Amino acid sequence: MGTDKQEAVKSLFTAQSAKVDTNRGDTYYEKLYDQCRARLDALKKLAPINNRRDFRTVIEEEGLERRDFLKWASATTAMLMLPASFTPLVAEAAMVMNRVPVVWIELQDCAGNSEALLRSDGPKIDEIILDIISLEFHETLMAPSGHQAEKQLEEAIEHFKGKYLLFVEGSIPRGLNGAFGTIGAKAETFIDHLTRLSKDAAAVVAVGSCATFGGIPAAAPNPTDAVGVMDVVKGKPIINIPACPANPSNMVGVLLHYVLTGQVPELDSLLRPKFAFGYRIHDNCERRAHFDAGEYVEEWGDEGAKNNFCLYKVGCKGPMTFNNCSIIRYNEGVNWPVGVGRGCIGCSEPDFWDKYAYERPMANANIKAPTGGVEKTVDEFGLGLLTAAGVGIAIHAAASAVAGKKESEREEA
Amino acid sequence: MKSTAYKKVERMTPAMRTIHWINAISMIVAVATGLYIAAPYYQTLIAEPAVDKYVMAWNRWGHFIVAIIFDVTSIVVAYLYFFSRFEKPYKKVLPTGKNIKEFFAVLINLLTLNRSKSFDSSHSDSFNTVYFTIFHLLLAWMLFTGLQLYVHGLESGLSSIGSWWPAMLHLVTDWTIPVSAWMVGSGPVPSIMDVRISHHITMWLIVVWVVFHIYYQVWRTIFWQEGDIAIAFGGSKFVKEDKEA
Repeated sequence: MGTDKQEAVKSLFTAQSAKVDTNRGDTYYEKLYDQCRARLDALKKLAPINNRRDFRTVIEEEGLERRDFLKWASATTAMLMLPASFTPLVAEAAMVMNRVPVVWIELQDCAGNSEALLRSDGPKIDEIILDIISLEFHETLMAPSGHQAEKQLEEAIEHFKGKYLLFVEGSIPRGLNGAFGTIGAKAETFIDHLTRLSKDAAAVVAVGSCATFGGIPAAAPNPTDAVGVMDVVKGKPIINIPACPANPSNMVGVLLHYVLTGQVPELDSLLRPKFAFGYRIHDNCERRAHFDAGEYVEEWGDEGAKNNFCLYKVGCKGPMTFNNCSIIRYNEGVNWPVGVGRGCIGCSEPDFWDKYAYERPMANANIKAPTGGVEKTVDEFGLGLLTAAGVGIAIHAAASAVAGKKESEREEA
Repeated sequence: MKSTAYKKVERMTPAMRTIHWINAISMIVAVATGLYIAAPYYQTLIAEPAVDKYVMAWNRWGHFIVAIIFDVTSIVVAYLYFFSRFEKPYKKVLPTGKNIKEFFAVLINLLTLNRSKSFDSSHSDSFNTVYFTIFHLLLAWMLFTGLQLYVHGLESGLSSIGSWWPAMLHLVTDWTIPVSAWMVGSGPVPSIMDVRISHHITMWLIVVWVVFHIYYQVWRTIFWQEGDIAIAFGGSKFVKEDKEA
């Protein structure tokens, strides 16, 4: 076991609980309010970075009303578990978001998290905020390429040394000394790239399941020895926003929290912000009553499916998954996986591809023997053990009947 | 056949027998409800309104109740293991020369179909005590993993008996996550699903344990002819006078 694994184990052993403090008392919030006020005033004095556009102008151009914005601000305040009195501060923070530099890098990934925030049904406030943040570098979105792009990155990390937030999308392949993934003309490996860029970052935000826990690239047999950011970056505040893709609302939540307080939000033992991952999907699921009643969809499209029954038997992993998507949903609250009639695949949990996403209950899912050998379901494995024991007992019983010596026979002999 | 005098040997106190049968019944309930929780294997009638059935909820309730009974008897058994005035099982699992010799003598007795029997069968032997210990280690693992699975539903950090309860459960059972991940085989980061898989596989190990346990006690009764099966009911067995140590 390497030092990284030991750290992970240590953090699990010392995990307090996923407890979310929704009310810390007036004194705490009054102090926090003053801190936030001071920070926002300081940020306001700064000019927007690189002539970023003003939030108010963009909102108007997109045809959104001030009322929509205020509705969004109060919803976001509640999501961040702050009292309603913080709503004006959250609104102000949204307007000064263009003063916080963000560098976004992509490693071993599918760009799904970038897609998630770009391909929405229409520009909504969360997406607009992600549009106007001072995104200093984003390979997929930026116009320059090649040496120009590299130059821009170097300038950004030099200019905003110690101030920028590093958003990382994608896992880090460690196999073959990192040769599975390289970037740029000098073929810098992803490990070196991440290590170098994180050195001068204020904090590192791992976005999506790959960057947080290795995700799909790290699924068995993990040919590239892929891991998440927290197994590579040490000595920096790390915030994990898992899910496949990560919910843009949670990305904005983390950014806003940083803009507002200058600190990372409260995290759980897997470094996920508690405001988003302090809930179990199952406990806020609209199909929960059917779970308790024992009403399950037996197969896709059956009578149960038509009646919105629980998806547990078609493999929903809501009972083992911590995320807020049953509350805030995706695409500005339009819907979410369980809402559209397919089970949760636990995409915000470690090892989700192997352990959650098989669309069957855990007992019927294929698992690998610890040796990495034959795939059997958990129950097949158990029944196999039982059969082996039964055969052994049958042989012993038959042999005893034929050749065994009872106590009385033994003494006569 | 010569007539021989038999002597009664007390082997299980009323408390031990009570625990034995509470455990047996709890286990049947835990396995039946646990299999349903893992993959609901019977359907409820679609026409009935949800409020009347509550099938999964009752299964989970039953599972938790027997789990708590199991937890309590486990604590009692763990205490008796070291401090019982009747018989301290730990003395029979210590790897002393005497115990190792007895362990293999009993094993050979089983493998030679009772053709060789060179140990004192009047008292609980080393082999059976090791087997008993394995069972209670499996049960302890079920206790810790089960409570870990249970605390996932208390993510608010609150419970009807106070916030100390989920906090204590995290403190006492969070270590099962990395340990399960190590046993099940995991990716870079241990996952709570590993605990669930491990909890389920351990159920199968316990079922296998039970099957052999029943077979072996019946086999002993038939071949040793000392009434071993009566131990769990009446608390005593009979050995020939000349054999009693």
